Amino acid sequence: MPNDTATGFLILGLGIVAVLGLVFAVTLRGGPRPYSTAVPPKGVHLPPPSLLPVLMSVGAALLAAGLVFRPDVAWDLPILGAISGVIHPIIGPLGLLVMLGGIWAWVRAAGREWRDQERGAHDAAGH
Amino acid sequence: MTAEAPTTRPLMEPARREAGMPTPLVGMLLFIASEVMFFGGLFAAYFNARASFVGTWGPPEPAEPLEIFPIALPITLILISSSFTMQFAVWAIRRGDQRSMRLWTGVTLLLGVIFLIGQLYDYSVLGFGISDGVFGTVFYTLTGFHGAHVFGGAIGLTILFARGVQGQFSARNHVAVEAISMYWHFVDVVWIALFTTLYFLR
Repeated sequence: MPNDTATGFLILGLGIVAVLGLVFAVTLRGGPRPYSTAVPPKGVHLPPPSLLPVLMSVGAALLAAGLVFRPDVAWDLPILGAISGVIHPIIGPLGLLVMLGGIWAWVRAAGREWRDQERGAHDAAGH
Repeated sequence: MTAEAPTTRPLMEPARREAGMPTPLVGMLLFIASEVMFFGGLFAAYFNARASFVGTWGPPEPAEPLEIFPIALPITLILISSSFTMQFAVWAIRRGDQRSMRLWTGVTLLLGVIFLIGQLYDYSVLGFGISDGVFGTVFYTLTGFHGAHVFGGAIGLTILFARGVQGQFSARNHVAVEAISMYWHFVDVVWIALFTTLYFLR
């Protein structure tokens, strides 16, 4: 297996650790908070329509396409060359960014919706 | 007829007092049920492809056949161990022992990350890629999706750990720990099935 491929997987491993570190930092950012014991409103609650799941699916499809359509010959570039042993250096990272962006936005939307219901922004039926 | 006593329910009463099972756990169970179907589809694809390539099934030439040493078996044992440490964290917080909960959650997270890095290292030395034949595609799809699930669980564990550091869990309020624990056990069971299928059913 070429060294470029090993370097590509090393970058992936470092990316995993970096993402986990980021998640830890973001979770700690708000400081100590009491455990929320708020309950959902009565009735059936449906989340509002959103295009974000579609966006995430497109990102995941691009990521998978990047894995399948990687270049036969590694690119002669510093970082993109190492990645190109594992994944298409353009399509793959683009898909990853779109997917992570979609996840991030969807989690934020869910958090906003929960805070709205804690403040009682829903109607009597819980919608 | 006696007068009915006035109900004095606390304003912010936890959901489990009314429903029996906390809503997040029900949600996690439903999610896991959908994941079982998802992985069921992947396993079906694997066995279908395997049945179509009888006698020639395996890593494409010139790659070596899959071996459980030196990587696959150790990372399997690491992942199985992480299920135990996760359960220790659950038992700790049920007792209200926040310190032990943080410790065991941290250990579980570490074992999960070691598993992921071990899997990536395994990928780098296997000698075939996702586009190298049907076996390569099915192998990387199965193990890759499982790895993505482990990564998702690691994110959940990181959030648990951070919230544990902030002292947000107690013997009474720890439904997130229970939910992530269920997910982590599920991911572990899937890997055992995957490991057995890929490395022992030749």
